[in-house]
Amino acid sequence: MAGKSGATPSTYSPSPTTQNKKRPPIFSDVDWVRSDGRGFHQCRPAFLRTGAVNSASGSAYAEFGNTKVIVSVFGPRESKKAMMYSDSGRLNCNVSYTTFATPVRGQGSDHKEFSSILHKALEGAIILDSFPKTTVDVFALVLESGGGDLPVVISCASLALADAGIMMYDLIASVSVSCLGKNLVIDPISDEESYQDGSLMITCMPSRNEVTQLTVTGEWSTPKIHEAMELCLDACSKLGKIMRSCLKEAASPVQE
Amino acid sequence: MSNDLSSEMEVDAFRRLFPLRFHERHLQESIRPDARPLGKARDTSVALGAVASADGSALAKIGCTTMLAAIKMEVMTPTTESADEGCIAIDFHMPPICSPLVRPGRPAEAAPVISKQLSDTILSSGMINLKELSLVSGKAAWMAYLDIYCLDADGALFDAALLSAVAAFSHLQIPVVSLNDDGRVVVVSDEDGGKLEKEPVNKEKRKLKLSSIPFSLTCVLHKNYILADPTAEEESVMETILTVVLDSSFQLVSLYKPGGPVLAQTSVIQDCVALTRQRLKELQKILNEAVSDMEED
Amino acid sequence: MEIDRVDGRTPNQLRPLACSRSILNRAHGSANWSQGETKVLAAVYGPKAGTKKNENPEKACIEVIWKPKTGQIGKPEKEYETILKRTLQSICLLTVNPNTTTSVIVQVVNDDGALLPCAINAACAALVDAGIPLKNLAVAICCCLTDSGYVILDPNKLEEQKMKAFVYLVFPNSILSVLPEGSSQIGGEPMEHGVITSVTHGVMSVDDYLHCLQRGRAASAKLSDFLRRNLQSHSPGDLSKAG
Repeated sequence: MAGKSGATPSTYSPSPTTQNKKRPPIFSDVDWVRSDGRGFHQCRPAFLRTGAVNSASGSAYAEFGNTKVIVSVFGPRESKKAMMYSDSGRLNCNVSYTTFATPVRGQGSDHKEFSSILHKALEGAIILDSFPKTTVDVFALVLESGGGDLPVVISCASLALADAGIMMYDLIASVSVSCLGKNLVIDPISDEESYQDGSLMITCMPSRNEVTQLTVTGEWSTPKIHEAMELCLDACSKLGKIMRSCLKEAASPVQE
Repeated sequence: MSNDLSSEMEVDAFRRLFPLRFHERHLQESIRPDARPLGKARDTSVALGAVASADGSALAKIGCTTMLAAIKMEVMTPTTESADEGCIAIDFHMPPICSPLVRPGRPAEAAPVISKQLSDTILSSGMINLKELSLVSGKAAWMAYLDIYCLDADGALFDAALLSAVAAFSHLQIPVVSLNDDGRVVVVSDEDGGKLEKEPVNKEKRKLKLSSIPFSLTCVLHKNYILADPTAEEESVMETILTVVLDSSFQLVSLYKPGGPVLAQTSVIQDCVALTRQRLKELQKILNEAVSDMEED
Repeated sequence: MEIDRVDGRTPNQLRPLACSRSILNRAHGSANWSQGETKVLAAVYGPKAGTKKNENPEKACIEVIWKPKTGQIGKPEKEYETILKRTLQSICLLTVNPNTTTSVIVQVVNDDGALLPCAINAACAALVDAGIPLKNLAVAICCCLTDSGYVILDPNKLEEQKMKAFVYLVFPNSILSVLPEGSSQIGGEPMEHGVITSVTHGVMSVDDYLHCLQRGRAASAKLSDFLRRNLQSHSPGDLSKAG
C-alpha cells in the first residue's frame, strides 16, 4: 500500500497474548465456565440496528458481545462495464477488517475467503431475477473482532439487504458452534475459537426452514454433528425473530 | 421570474436535474436544503472508547458524516537522532461501506490526501510532545498507530476525521509496561501483579498531555456566499472548498484551499477564520463534555 | 531588521527564473520551469477523446501525473497531484472541450525548495504551450515565515527546513482585456488579489498569514510579468503546433 513507506520502523505489540499460545486445560473439562459467564448453549446478547450508513441504499450495524460489524448495501446499480448482459442480477460481496479489529494490529486488508463465503450464503436467498442487468454490492467492515465474525457478518448483511429493499425469499440468520473436547459451545468468542477442535456454521432461512450454507471444519463424529446442527437451527430461528423485530421497529415510526 | 421550471416540477426532480439552481434558490433565501442557516455547522457528537481492542478510540459524528478513530500502541527502537522521542503514524481509510463512490480494490482518491493533511496538521500543531512517548531513552519508545475509518461520508470529511483523531488521543490510556529479561517491553497485567519482579517503566505516564488542540472548519465558497460545514451534495455542486484549522489559542495551523472556481479574497478568508473561531468553541465544549462523561462512568 | 539569506538575496527577492517551452516533440505542449536550482518539466497531452469513469461528460477532465525525481509516489505526491489538478481545473475553460481528457505530466528534475509552486508554474506554461483554452494564467509562490516573524519569498531547500511555517499561494495573473474598468473587481478588490490555492505548513498567527498573502501578491506581479513576456516572445506565427 502507498501508506507503508520504507521509513516506518519495525514495531511489536507489547501485549502478552502473542506469546502464550498454550491451550489451558480447563477447556477439556466437563464443567468449566465460559469466560463471559454464559452457558454452553447460550448465545451472546445481540444488538441490531438498521440504517447505520446514510449514504448507502441500505445498511445495518450488529454487535454480538465484542464483535462489531457494519454492512452497507449499494444498488441495484450499473454493473461494471466489462460485464456481459445478464437476465438476472449480480451480487458482489466484500468483507474487510479494520487495522484495530484484532488484538494485534493488522493490515486492514480484504478478507477474500469470507467475501466468497458471504456471497454463497446470500446468493440463495436473494431474488436475483428482480434486478436484471444490475449489481447489488454488499460491503462489510468488521470494526472489532470478538469471535464468530463470519456468522455475524452474514446475519447483518441480510438485515442490510432488507433495509435496502432488495427482494429476498427470507431473512438469513447464521450461527456457529465450536467443539471443545467433549463440549459444544454456541456462538464462540475469539478465545474459544482459537482452542476449538472443530467448528460448524449454519446459514439458514428461518421461516422457510431451509439451509443455504453449512460449513464444517475439524474433527466431528456423526452424533456430534447432529447435536450441533440442532443447536444451530434452534438458535437461528431465535435470531431470525430478533432480526424481524428489528426491521419492524425501524419501519413502524414511518407509517404513523 | 420563474423561468427555471422550479415552480412546475417536483422538488426532488428539480434537485437532481438542476442541482446548482436548486442550491442557488436556497442561497437567495439564506437557507440551505437541510434548513440550516449558511454559517451553521451540523449537529456534532463525540463518543469515547468505542473500540475495546484499542488503547484509545473515539467515534465522531458531524451530521451524517461518521468517523471511527482508534489508537494502538506498539513498541519500537527509536532512531539515534531522536533517541528519546516516540512516533505517531496516522492513516485515514475510506472503506467501501462509506460511500457509493468507493469500490473495493480501488481506493478512494481522497483518502491518501486527507491522510497526509491529518498527519501534517496533528504533527505540526504540536498537540503531542513526542518526548512523552519515550520509554527507555535510546532503547524503546512508543509508536502510536492512529487509524481513522470513515464509516459514512457526507461532506466535511477532514473536520470529522480531525475531531475523531483528537478525541481518540484524549481517550488514550497508555498500557503499563515493564522490560523483560530479553530486553523486550511487555504489558504488566493486573492478574499476575503478585509475581511481578520487574518494575514498570511508565507508571506515571498513562495519559498524554494535549496542548493547543487543533480544530477545523470546512467551508464551501459559492459566488459571495460562504457555507459552513458542507454536506457531500453541497461539496459536489459548489466546488470551491476552504478548510481552516485553528488551535485553542487561535493560532492558524492550516489554511487549505485546493483550487476551485471561486477566488478567495482577503475578506472571505477573514470571514472563514471568524467562523472557525466560533466553531472551535463549540467543538471544545463537545470534546470536554465527552471527556467528563467518560470520567464519571 | 534585515535577515541574512544563505544565498545573499533580500527577503523579497526571487531566485532567477527560467522557462523554455516546446522542448518535447511528442507532447502537445511542454515547458521547463526553473527557480534557482529547483527545476520541473511539465508535459501536456490532449485534449484526448473520452473522460475517465465517474467524470462529468459535460466538462473536460484534467488528470495530473506526478513523477518524483526518484522512487515511487507516496502520500505527499498524491497530495501534490490533487492540489495541482484542482488548481489547473480552476483556470481551464472546461466547457470548451466537453468529454475530453487532458493529461498533465509533471517530472521533478531537481528539488531545491518551493517545489509545488514551481510545478504549478511549469504546468501552467505547458498548458499555454499546448493551446488549452484558459480563463487566465496562474502564478504560484512560496512564502516562508522565520522564527522571528519575518517573511521571505521563494526559499531554497535549506531555508525551507529552518522555517517556522510556510505558505504556498497561487494567484491569477492580471487580465489585460477590453473589459470595462471595474468589471474585474470582486468586492472592491482587484480580481488578481484573490487566492486560487493556499496550502500551509506549520503554526502561525492569522496576521502572519495575511502578511504572507500581501507579500506573495506583490511578488506574484513580477512572476506574472515574467510569464507573460516569456509567452509573448514565442507566440507570433507559431501556428504549426495547433491541434
